[in-house]
Amino acid sequence: MPGPITVFSARKIITMDAAVDEATHVAVRDGIIIEVGDLDDCAAWGPYTLDKRFDDGVLMPGFIESHAHLLEGLLWAKAEYAGPVDRRDPSGRLRKGINNVPDLVRRLKEIEATLEDGARPLVAWGIDPSLNDPIAPITRHDLDKVSSTRPIFLLHASCHIAYVNSATLTLANYAAVTAPGVQRDPSGEPTGELDELAAMMAAIKAVAADLVGGSTDPAQFYNFARVAQARGVTTIVDGGSGTYFEPAFLEAALAATAAEDFPARIVAHHNGITVPTAEAMIRFAAALEGKGNDKLSFQGLKIVLDGSNQGFTGRLRPPGYLASGANGLWNRGPEELRTLVPALHNAGLQIVAHCNADQAAELFIEAVAVAQAARPRFDHRHFIVHGQLLDESLMRRMAALGIHVTLFSNHLYYWGEFHRAHTFGAFRAGAMNPAATALRLGLVAAAHSDTPVSPVDPLLTLWCAANRVTASGRVLGPRERVGVHDALRMMTFNAAWLLHRDHEVGSIRVGKRADFAALAQDPLAIDPMALRDIEVLGTVVGGRVFGARA
Amino acid sequence: MTRLPVTVVGGYLGAGKTTLLNRLLADTQGRRLAVLVNDFGAVNIDAGLIANRDGETISLVNGCVCCSIGDNLGMTLYDLAERPDGPEHIVIEASGVADPARIAAYAGCHPSLGLDAIVVMADATTIRERARDKYVGDVVRQQLAAADLVLLSRTDLIDVAESHRVRDWIMAEVPGARVQDAPAMGRLAQILLVGTKAAEIDPSPGAHDSLFSSWHVGSALPLDGAALRSMLDALPPAVLRAKGIVQLAEAPGRRFVLQLVGRRWSLEPEPHREKLALVSRSEIVVIGLAGQLDPEAMQALFAPVLAACLSPAVEALLRSETRP
Repeated sequence: MPGPITVFSARKIITMDAAVDEATHVAVRDGIIIEVGDLDDCAAWGPYTLDKRFDDGVLMPGFIESHAHLLEGLLWAKAEYAGPVDRRDPSGRLRKGINNVPDLVRRLKEIEATLEDGARPLVAWGIDPSLNDPIAPITRHDLDKVSSTRPIFLLHASCHIAYVNSATLTLANYAAVTAPGVQRDPSGEPTGELDELAAMMAAIKAVAADLVGGSTDPAQFYNFARVAQARGVTTIVDGGSGTYFEPAFLEAALAATAAEDFPARIVAHHNGITVPTAEAMIRFAAALEGKGNDKLSFQGLKIVLDGSNQGFTGRLRPPGYLASGANGLWNRGPEELRTLVPALHNAGLQIVAHCNADQAAELFIEAVAVAQAARPRFDHRHFIVHGQLLDESLMRRMAALGIHVTLFSNHLYYWGEFHRAHTFGAFRAGAMNPAATALRLGLVAAAHSDTPVSPVDPLLTLWCAANRVTASGRVLGPRERVGVHDALRMMTFNAAWLLHRDHEVGSIRVGKRADFAALAQDPLAIDPMALRDIEVLGTVVGGRVFGARA
Repeated sequence: MTRLPVTVVGGYLGAGKTTLLNRLLADTQGRRLAVLVNDFGAVNIDAGLIANRDGETISLVNGCVCCSIGDNLGMTLYDLAERPDGPEHIVIEASGVADPARIAAYAGCHPSLGLDAIVVMADATTIRERARDKYVGDVVRQQLAAADLVLLSRTDLIDVAESHRVRDWIMAEVPGARVQDAPAMGRLAQILLVGTKAAEIDPSPGAHDSLFSSWHVGSALPLDGAALRSMLDALPPAVLRAKGIVQLAEAPGRRFVLQLVGRRWSLEPEPHREKLALVSRSEIVVIGLAGQLDPEAMQALFAPVLAACLSPAVEALLRSETRP
């Protein structure tokens, strides 16, 4: 027997549906949208309860974060946030960015004072001195001011660098650690900066072991979903490094997401990152088929071709990185990809390919071309993640082969100036994350945050795609700015399509799931530069309201 | 204890890394090795050798282990270093597209680990073509540049002239590179692991077989540290490996451990010993391919190291006991 009907009213409903743009009421039964129109249209379905809590707001389809990592949820559970970028924590509290060393020391002292057990390490995350003002190194001497006895471990936003105090250096016996990434002062003493995992390993093992090694802490799932929910997300991707194929982890994930009050849907990519071979990837993916629940599902298999552009490890076509001409790192080489990609393609999987710079994208496109020539598939929806230096030629080949993309538009704001000055130079920085060209060529393009790399906040991400403004106010590549409607579509319908979920979510349409984001302002009626400041009033997931007062 | 030595084996896909590792596991000279590979599938371990298989680790009857690196090389290495019954030598197979220098950084991830050498395999028949490839050319050149020792494989498929051209090309790409043919890979693999424990220094002269020869120098008096260091930088490419325990004039009463593979060498203070040897000598053994290690040239190279701190008479005495 069908359940009761709830009608949500709003100042305006932006449907993102291709045929019907707007409405004022949406009727929901059993978590599914049964009518979209005005109140009379909804009343045609019979008795209903009118929920007016979003009466003054604007309802949108819930935002879809198309690339993120569960690690953020674990970081909130195990460590303190102390980065330079504003972030909202799982309780919804805004953590203002700390962007100079004295303030960082002050904040760490506050945290230190709350820790009772004197031996318990102080672990913080999100640090990035390149975004500080002034840009200054963080040394053990700074951190020794916080405590000379309690081990301190600060994780860089990239997760490739750590800063530690003397207590950690002593505890982990850094006097004997020879890894070249252990930065040393002229006298040979460690400065406290540890570059790359090899140098960080001893410190991680000694004071931050619970950040690595497949934690099954249920809080990571909740935190991950909750932070995204606070900014209007109803579906969030966990980007492929998870170990869902391990029974204990899967059990923890299923138990956490099955809770009634779990605040968002997670779509997890299959792991093609830490799983070595095509055979194992296909086997693990098959074993997870049908294993999800209403708020946890598995879709797409993530592989990684190159590194990160801000870390100078993305694979670039000539002339390489600015000034040095250097190139980045392959995670998997051409020979391997030319067999791996066809194997996954032929197994019927959707391939989600991390290609940060353009040479990685070129190689992936080439590998898909090999696969398509041997065994054509329609509607496979393989897509590139990041694709920051895609150009028209690459994207035309993508369109021909059916490859789509989720762009890393947040880079324009957070690292735009850095890329202009240090990695790509002026032209390529202006051409980064070319959303307008992608859409014009018919690619189904979305955009993402890659949290914890940058904060999950779809309104900020679409603000980046629409404005392309750097942190210091420069517009990078104005021709690649997209209209607000297109930007909204990137973060809703297009993302749903990439995840093979567009028949269920991504627009407000009869028959789809009742997943909404309630906004305080109409994004189509304001200055595009104000998009990122829009307040989120709450979300609805499968008809259930989250984060808003009744 | 001395550091647990770590050898990194790099080189592009198909260069012969796995062959080298297989030969190594087949004859470990009584050492407990841990071999870390990317993929078990590629390592063809004789079923008769396998004692136990447990997830990411295969234990062999000869005491060795073969571990799959999985997603975290640092963690795998760290855990091996922590094991009370751990290995005596660790060999890491770098992936075909990895920069071996980056992998080698992990050899310093634990206080008790130390990098022994980066050995890079290069397929003599394809290396130059690979180095022009738009996707991996820079990777291949980077691998060669990172090598303490480059081992050329498949030289039996090309003629001598071509083999020389390949070698010359590598020397031009990487000035100072040490390049060796890998004709009998199994023996070569063992040479790379010889003497990594300080206690194993064997002053007995001569070749253990027809492929390699060794040369030894000993002195009852301290050596000139500065001369030794510049000599180590100037050793001929024929030297594959050297090992030694030496006293230096600059640090009386202490002994130093010398390790050399190809162009990488280290001279580190010997860790504290419980019993001080009554007679403490300097001993160095140098190993190279048979027929390439010229005793007279070696003697000339070592002369300044010894002469700087000796009277002519003692020097003469010493020379008399320096055996080719």
